[in-house]
Amino acid sequence: MAAMKVRLGAVKVALALAVLVVWSRAAQLQIVEGSRHQAEALARRTERITLPAPRGGIYDRNGIPLALTQETFHLGIAPNEINDARRSAEEVSRNVREIATSLDLPLADVDRAVRGSGYAYFHGPFTSAQIRRVREIPGVHAEPVYSRLHPDADLARPLLGWPSSPGRPASGIERVLDSLLAGVSGSAVVLRDMRGRRYESPARLDAFPSRGSDVFLTIDAELQDIVESALLDALVELEASSGDVVVMDPATGEVLALASMRADGTSQMTALTDPYEPGSTAKLFVAAALLERDLASEVDSVWGELGEFDYAGRTIRDVHEMGWGTLSTVIELSSNIGIVKFAQRLPPEIQFGVLRDFGFGSPSGIEYPSESRGILRRPREWSGFSQASLAMGYEFAATPVQLAAAYSVIASGGLLLRPTLVSAVRGPDGDMLYEHRPEPVRRVLSEANAAKLRQMLIGVVYGQGTASLAALTSYELAGKTGTSRRAGASGYIAGAYTASFASMFPASDPQLVTVVKLVDPRGTYGSVTAAPVTRSVIEQALAAQTGAIDRIRLSRQRDVDESPDLIDRRARVYRFAWPRVERLDMTDSVTVVPQVAGMYVREAAKTLHQSGLRAVIDGLGLAAGTSPPAGDSVSVNSLIRIAAVSVLDR
Amino acid sequence: MTLKGRHWVALWLTFLLLTLVWVQARQTAALVSADQLNNLRAARAALEASKAEQTARIRAAKSRSVLVPRAESLGLRAAVDSEIVFLELLGG
Repeated sequence: MAAMKVRLGAVKVALALAVLVVWSRAAQLQIVEGSRHQAEALARRTERITLPAPRGGIYDRNGIPLALTQETFHLGIAPNEINDARRSAEEVSRNVREIATSLDLPLADVDRAVRGSGYAYFHGPFTSAQIRRVREIPGVHAEPVYSRLHPDADLARPLLGWPSSPGRPASGIERVLDSLLAGVSGSAVVLRDMRGRRYESPARLDAFPSRGSDVFLTIDAELQDIVESALLDALVELEASSGDVVVMDPATGEVLALASMRADGTSQMTALTDPYEPGSTAKLFVAAALLERDLASEVDSVWGELGEFDYAGRTIRDVHEMGWGTLSTVIELSSNIGIVKFAQRLPPEIQFGVLRDFGFGSPSGIEYPSESRGILRRPREWSGFSQASLAMGYEFAATPVQLAAAYSVIASGGLLLRPTLVSAVRGPDGDMLYEHRPEPVRRVLSEANAAKLRQMLIGVVYGQGTASLAALTSYELAGKTGTSRRAGASGYIAGAYTASFASMFPASDPQLVTVVKLVDPRGTYGSVTAAPVTRSVIEQALAAQTGAIDRIRLSRQRDVDESPDLIDRRARVYRFAWPRVERLDMTDSVTVVPQVAGMYVREAAKTLHQSGLRAVIDGLGLAAGTSPPAGDSVSVNSLIRIAAVSVLDR
Repeated sequence: MTLKGRHWVALWLTFLLLTLVWVQARQTAALVSADQLNNLRAARAALEASKAEQTARIRAAKSRSVLVPRAESLGLRAAVDSEIVFLELLGG
């Protein structure tokens, strides 16, 4: 009996131990490791996915889209689903034709994909409109992906560049402003079945993707089109190997148009990345240094040696022979000998310092990756001939944009402004995140000396100078030609030249500074190659609807300059009073169109009314821009058209 | 009248049933909304694609590479600056 009790006790203890073990294990699984196992189970049933954010758009200064993000699709075809036994052969055949037609794919390719055994994939990308009908077909699976779309495929392409993608690094504006354009990705949790297939659930969206900001460039699309077209024509007609054109607003430093092209059809932004020796266009900086330091006046003279001069062991020659010539004449005739003699009055430190002040040898700070700083050596590195070389535009190198910024100093009254490509940045909600204001770097010249230099440049075009082919008849253009030998890996290449023309329009109140550079053009000299291209660009800009030129300001300026001698120089000046009635009260005064882009249309209309203007609204939502554009002078009570975009579109 | 045990059970079962029906109705409505949202999203994407395509066509039609050859084929040419007339606003 006692043994029985012992055995029973042992069984009880064993059972109790067993229960304890089970409870302990259960406690370990449920309490101690519970959260880990729960997470593992969840991870097997669910998956966190990243929701890509749409990239912000890139627009020109007037809101014309240059690069947009569009939802496109890759397409997958599952043959086992499309060839379902419940569907007739005729229906399958009809579906195959529909896919091929809608997606513009070869019928044989689609047919092969449907008859195959594996999952077929068509990369596309296809637009929503293309796949709208085919996505209803069973077995057709659309995979959304954002693509970059350029409404004008060729316009400003090397400038805009590309966002990064597998196998292709980012470039251009897309690269330098990537952090603004990219937006913030969202995330969501999707359910997975045992085969790993995903099932979306709207309730499991963790974070909405936040769209990137919109960037408004300083580029004027209309002017850019003019510039690219003129440059392409020049490359073809003059058989140049490549060329660059920069158009800048000297009052703000905003780049209005920027084009770089090569004859072989490729294009890189060489206007920002490839410095060149500017040649005679740099002679003006010697004159600037002399005037600013009171080392010479514009009427001081030097002997031009009648075209040939031995200096520091070398012979300097002029294309146009000159006897005695003033500083103005030296610039007009682009005399190498004259400018070298004038440069001898400059201590090397001052000659270097003035070039440095004009922005040469340091990056301009424009928003572009890999912008070149150019080349400008310090005086201690100069040779005995360097001072003469620098005066003639050799032994230092600048990009066309640096040259345009330097000429803008003269155009704007002596102030160096940081050139820029970005006019404004708007957040995904339309908030203004950044708006460009002119950024003065330093004062380089006094206003009086800048005016004297502009007068010299007028002489280059209208006097006895080298740029007569750039002369306009209705308005004055001021500029300087340049022709420089082109250097290769082992010194200057025989017969290779860079022709250029830097100009400002109109001369007395410049609105545009233009630099045209052509490499190896037929005709060699800037006076017969680059200068006519500039004239063509200005004429087309005058005739076009571009807002880059303020026509009211231009016509007022013409009134001021209407001196008899100027009229003699011009062919004909047409002047009409409009409307052809007696003065109307509504046109009594002039006002400036206010900036309303980004405002709701109601607020935009109110702002225009407050400025004494009338408004007509085209669209709903946010104002994208106005016609005429903001900043233009118009008469009071003018009708301003507000172009609006839906809030959802932005 | 006092509720007996089976009445309570019936009451609780009814409550449970109503709750389940309510939850299911909400889920169904959510799925319908999600479906509508997807359709709207697809329609909007299609419209945006169409808008982008039309914008591209307009830009292409307005570009100089298209306009200038056509104008030249009609015997037109670009105006030189002396032929450009700005109408002057009186009192401006």
